[in-house]
Amino acid sequence: MRDILTKSVDYGRGLGAEYVEVRAQNLFKTLLTTKDGTVEGAKEGTESGAGVRALVNGAWGFVSLGNPDSKLLTEAVDEAVRLAKAASLRVKSAVKLAEVKAVEDRVTANPRKSPQDVSIEEKIGVALAMDRTVFGYDKRIKSCTISYLDVTGKDYFVNSDGACIEQDKLYVWSRILASARENSVYASAREEMGSTSGYEVFDAETPEKVGTMVAKRVVEQLKGKTPKGGSFPAVLGPNVVGVFMHEAMGHLAEADLTLSGSILYDKLGEQIASELVTVYDDGTVEGSFGSFKYDDEGVRTQKTPIIEGGTLTGLMHNRETAQKLNMKPTGNARAEDFRVEPIIRMRNTYLAAGDSSFEELVEDVDFGYYLKSFRGGQANLDGTFQVGIQEAYEIVKGKVGASVRNASISGNTLETLRRVDAVGRDFELWPGRCGKGQIAFICDGGPHIRVGEVTVGGGA
Amino acid sequence: MAEPKLAELIDLGERAVKVAVARGADEAEAFLSLNSGTSIDVERGQIVRSVKSVDEGLGVRAVYRKAVGFSYTNTLTDKSVEEAAERAFRAARASKPDENWVRLPSPRSFGETRGTYDKRIVDLSSDELVETAACMLGAVEAYDKRVLAVDGGVGTSMFSTVVVNSLGVEASDVGTAVACSMETIARDGADVTPACYEVSAERVYDIDAEGVGTEAARQAVSSLKAERIGSGVFPVVFAQAAFRSLLSYTLMNAVKADYVQRERSALKDKIGEKVASELVTVYDDGLLEGGLLTRRFDDEGVPSQKTLVIDRGVLRSFLYDSHSANKVGAESTGNASRTGVAAYASTPALEASNFRFMEGDRAAEELVGEVDEGLLVYGVQGAHSSNPESGEFSVVATPVWKIEGGEVAGAVRGVMLTGVVFDVLRNVSAFGNNVRQLGQLVAPWVRVENVRAVGR
Repeated sequence: MRDILTKSVDYGRGLGAEYVEVRAQNLFKTLLTTKDGTVEGAKEGTESGAGVRALVNGAWGFVSLGNPDSKLLTEAVDEAVRLAKAASLRVKSAVKLAEVKAVEDRVTANPRKSPQDVSIEEKIGVALAMDRTVFGYDKRIKSCTISYLDVTGKDYFVNSDGACIEQDKLYVWSRILASARENSVYASAREEMGSTSGYEVFDAETPEKVGTMVAKRVVEQLKGKTPKGGSFPAVLGPNVVGVFMHEAMGHLAEADLTLSGSILYDKLGEQIASELVTVYDDGTVEGSFGSFKYDDEGVRTQKTPIIEGGTLTGLMHNRETAQKLNMKPTGNARAEDFRVEPIIRMRNTYLAAGDSSFEELVEDVDFGYYLKSFRGGQANLDGTFQVGIQEAYEIVKGKVGASVRNASISGNTLETLRRVDAVGRDFELWPGRCGKGQIAFICDGGPHIRVGEVTVGGGA
Repeated sequence: MAEPKLAELIDLGERAVKVAVARGADEAEAFLSLNSGTSIDVERGQIVRSVKSVDEGLGVRAVYRKAVGFSYTNTLTDKSVEEAAERAFRAARASKPDENWVRLPSPRSFGETRGTYDKRIVDLSSDELVETAACMLGAVEAYDKRVLAVDGGVGTSMFSTVVVNSLGVEASDVGTAVACSMETIARDGADVTPACYEVSAERVYDIDAEGVGTEAARQAVSSLKAERIGSGVFPVVFAQAAFRSLLSYTLMNAVKADYVQRERSALKDKIGEKVASELVTVYDDGLLEGGLLTRRFDDEGVPSQKTLVIDRGVLRSFLYDSHSANKVGAESTGNASRTGVAAYASTPALEASNFRFMEGDRAAEELVGEVDEGLLVYGVQGAHSSNPESGEFSVVATPVWKIEGGEVAGAVRGVMLTGVVFDVLRNVSAFGNNVRQLGQLVAPWVRVENVRAVGR
């Protein structure tokens, strides 16, 4: 494979391209869905393909194809160069790439349990055990959907700078979604697990443990009251802090979006948050769902500081944006698969832990909300964010009280970061999947934090 | 672009079905798709990239004693197709029976589709697409220099679909589409607008790239100087993008038979009941002329059809694929869909096709003109965090403008809208006549009374 890729890259250089890269993949996937104890489909599939990118006269051409052989790859390189030339006719500011050391490396996955070695019967068994736990918890639970996915295979990367990298790919992921009904009150809850270490993740996150957690969450909501609309102090749990750091803050610090005019544009070096706030995007967390060794431009991953003590110190880059802003590439260029080109994506994004206990966060709140777990979140370039909450509680006179359903918070990212007035000493990371035209596997998290004021909507 | 090679795909599909049955499957189905596309991408004010992709593959469903197995491959050789069929059969044998399984669909005759294929799209060169993208970009720049063309582009696609099964279904279809889109922001000193967005998507080569650029720029400029407002209950006019977001995670799931059967729909047991304003009539129309989701048959080979979902406020029908229909002895409405990275890599799931709200007789300006104090909402953020079962939502409106004395006034920021989607449908007071399609939703502007807004 390596020889074929190197040959096509050389061929592209011969056509006059400033830069050429070829990524090839062989992937094997197992997918399962169970609905209310019934296996909807046990699925297995294979995919192989390549993505070719060429930079000519400051513009990109990209071609993706299945089942590349030497001849098809050469044709794809031809096409990519031709496409780049067509696009370059209108280029005003030529794309240039930051220098990086060209790496030759081979990265192997060393799972204790490879998902390939676990039979599909056993995977079905785990999902059904989880389903039984959920339905067994309470008879008001009406539905339970469990999805499972594992991906194994190899990524090959060769570029015209001389990089040549072979990386094993390994992802294990599962999501459980439960709904409950009591009279006219409907509630739903979900949970995700994900790992790059191996199938052994299910030894710790047992079906009983995860099933009980989700079941408890959904039933708790049935008796929940709807929140008052308005501005309140709030304590955010690690799961909500994570989605906030990812959605409300992280996307704005992806250099492509920063350059596109996110509110972080021209704020580098400025105090943008409470000095209690330190945020990293970190690709090096062992076994974590957002971790990898090299990104899809062949750049070594790293732990990238974004905010340190409240000051914006870094952005997430690919080689193009790093060059444009005269900074260093950070290893954030990721492609979902060979079908699409690499773009700037997060890895494991988190707020660093502080020194408060949970009691200290809650005790000074006269009336507010404890937002424990999220249902979804979204942010806009202007820093307007919204996070839907699936598990929340009132805080009354310093104590966590009644459960609250269908809450949602919104506000402006920077205003909210400035209002962080206490940071907990605990820490958790949660796996998730992020959509930015493509899907990327990520983690986010942090400790519990307290925010002086946030807009709470929800209820009907 | 690659020419459709339907005969070849049908041959491979038949081979896969034959192999699965020969190995011992009770029934088998092959789904094949071939998608190719070219696009020109705009980023931060310039054309930066041209992309071409071809993606083809096969997915096989094999059923063994009511257990369903599935396998796919993107390698279309006789050998890999046979391997996929064998793997599907093995997966079925390893799986557990689905007690609700009845059978795969049987052959039925298909209705006519119109306006779903245009040879001009197939023949477009990437140079022509670059010119179209440049024209859209030029329109943004010409509108106002405070506007930045953040992201967008022009793209064409061509798709071939084949479904073959062991009960005699043999279906094939080809289609084309073209789209251009533009996301903008405007920046004036420290004032930055939220992202604004305009798109034009068609099945035939009839898009207005310049109009998309101008409209995206207009939205951004008029979003400058946004102010906060106090909380209250207002009439709200929703443009299509906002309406679509609100419905996508609520109503459009609540009418799916599988949601109803699994008690995940607030519309369960409501057939024949009034669930919306009398102004609301909704069809799911898989045969809509030129519709973005129009096709002769669904992704398991069932004919597309036009299904009356809500008739003047009264719920008339749910949407079915063959599995949910078989479960209750109903007929599939042709709503099986394979979504995901690649259609061939996915099993069918229940999805709306062209989800069409019938238009009213008022011009869009009249919807606004009759409002003394309210909001005009173009988009909402966070709709995916709605409660999928109850239809409760809590979203940020963006971009959004005040309506004062029947006129669109200044932009607003930081306002949340909360409520229950079924109350929204009951409180519809007018539909405009400006129908357009965005994704699955085909609808005009809609005015809704008594929407709760949480501001400062």
